[in-house]
Amino acid sequence: MPELFLALSPQDWQAIQLTLKLCLYTTLILLLLGTPLAWWLSLSQSKLRTAIQAIVALPLVLPPTVLGFYLLLLLGPHGAVGSTLEQLGFTHLAFSFSGILIGSVIYSLPFTVQPLLESFRRMGPRPLEVAATLGASKLDQLFSVVLPLCRGGFIVAATLTFAHTLGEFGVILMLGGSIPGETQVLSVLIYDHTEAMNYAQAHQLSLGLLIAAFVVLFIVYGLNRRFERGTV
Amino acid sequence: MAIPGTEHLHNPTTSSSWWQRLGWHANAKANNQARHSTPASNAPKSLRVALQLQRGAFSLELNNCLPLQGITALFGRSGCGKTTLLRAIAGLDRHAGAQVQFIDTVWQQGNTFLPVHQRRIGMVFQESSLLPHLSVKQNLLYGFNRLAKHIDVHLKPEQVTQLLELAPLLQQAPEQLSGGQRQRVALGRALLSQPQLLLLDEPLASLDQQSRGEILPFLQRIANTTGIPMLLVSHQLDDVVKLADHLVLMQHGRIHSQGPLQQQLLQPELAAIGAMSLLHAQSHGSKHHLLKLSIGQQQLQLPAPLPANTTSYSPTSYRLRIQARDVALSLKPISDSSVSNQLQVSISGFSPAPHPAETLVELELEGQPLQALLTTQSVERLGLQIGQRVFAQIKAVALD
Repeated sequence: MPELFLALSPQDWQAIQLTLKLCLYTTLILLLLGTPLAWWLSLSQSKLRTAIQAIVALPLVLPPTVLGFYLLLLLGPHGAVGSTLEQLGFTHLAFSFSGILIGSVIYSLPFTVQPLLESFRRMGPRPLEVAATLGASKLDQLFSVVLPLCRGGFIVAATLTFAHTLGEFGVILMLGGSIPGETQVLSVLIYDHTEAMNYAQAHQLSLGLLIAAFVVLFIVYGLNRRFERGTV
Repeated sequence: MAIPGTEHLHNPTTSSSWWQRLGWHANAKANNQARHSTPASNAPKSLRVALQLQRGAFSLELNNCLPLQGITALFGRSGCGKTTLLRAIAGLDRHAGAQVQFIDTVWQQGNTFLPVHQRRIGMVFQESSLLPHLSVKQNLLYGFNRLAKHIDVHLKPEQVTQLLELAPLLQQAPEQLSGGQRQRVALGRALLSQPQLLLLDEPLASLDQQSRGEILPFLQRIANTTGIPMLLVSHQLDDVVKLADHLVLMQHGRIHSQGPLQQQLLQPELAAIGAMSLLHAQSHGSKHHLLKLSIGQQQLQLPAPLPANTTSYSPTSYRLRIQARDVALSLKPISDSSVSNQLQVSISGFSPAPHPAETLVELELEGQPLQALLTTQSVERLGLQIGQRVFAQIKAVALD
């Protein structure tokens, strides 16, 4: 088996690099977007909340192809977003890294929001009320109370988002195709190797992903256990 | 007299009077008076609240002024709206149409809504609310470190630590503390945010009897030494009578009545819970473990509180809580009885007691009201009448 990994081609390395970049960017963007969204969901009494919650959870149940298809329509040269960008002198987003990054962000959204929402709910409103009566503004509360008290939730959210983006396939294939260095991530490359009957190459990448995914999930559940025991 | 801290709303550099009493600032008084020569500042300071809301079967409707002096208790059964009112005052809940005005500063009215963190309040919640990721010391300093630059610091960390005897706890984590200690830290934390108003939401409710005993004297001490006005929510009449100066009786989402505690205790609604009276007495020291007290011209003696209960703090005046059923009346002084505290009183009225066979006799003792619960038969047998002078034998007194 070890000699298999030595046989990684430059194309394989490029895909690994691209995948890690996509995962990292997606995780960072989602933490920035998901935190206020989850906070709003945990506090809001608004009727809109149910709708937003359903939309956030959509990627869990929709086939990735459906999501990818609509994103392709939207971001492509004839889509609302794509054509606007073209008019402004940019290029449309189909078959580009930016395009699959947007796809990943939407696709992994529930994996960021759910753990955060859960940890915000576990914390409850009281620590925030206490902080407010002691003169802490909303932003201050976020940094001095929410982040430290919900650290576990943030770690789980970040890890799950990263891992879920690692395993993304359908959306990327629909929206990005398989352009080396641009949209050809590991999962897509494995598909390409298999299509081309390069089973050995497909195998070593698959095994690598399998182990990586296991390690990540192992860490997540380990952390979850620790946080459930109350050592947050 | 100026209410502590309130002048900062208009002039951040003025001083207030309560900390002068502590001797922390000697020269500020003249200053203070000069800045308060306007007629408005002589009017009694109050908190005006108007609130109207309907949530299913629960409704709350009030439009009242609450005094900002000493301890004001919001008393009523669970579910009568006390906590809802307190949260609206704090700004923790924003109810449409509500109005909150602190002295002459509008906290809420129409579209105006001063966010919680900008209201100069300190709040202590029912259950432990220490931030679990911070040590006791960090909790204490949480509000203190966030004070705006223009706010004068009247209560320094060392002073609060001393006042509430927190020194041994500073390095501990909140989960290592007992319930009573946690509430004490929460109280200190609230004080260090230099509040103009302390809001206490059943701070004793989650504590056992012993822990309550550890907190009560501190609440009294805070009221006496800092002069910060407090609103205390409670459904325990005992606690209210121990602490409050002013009692707001709430029923079914309305303010039924409010007034000085002594007078409020005569309300039939409170008598139904267990008629009692509150007497203010002056202390004249103790001898042979007997505390000598006077009420006007009259004397009484009671077992002195043991040192362990009072720490180093020995008050010059006491509150005496006397259950109406612990007061007996006689037409002449009785000499052959074990009851040693016998006071001359005059009858000021009669009212029906919750039990049909009993009558509440309202008495006046040196200008203070006292109630005695007698059987109606005894009242008739003795021929008691309004204006008559009689002798009250007091069988039991709780001392605060």
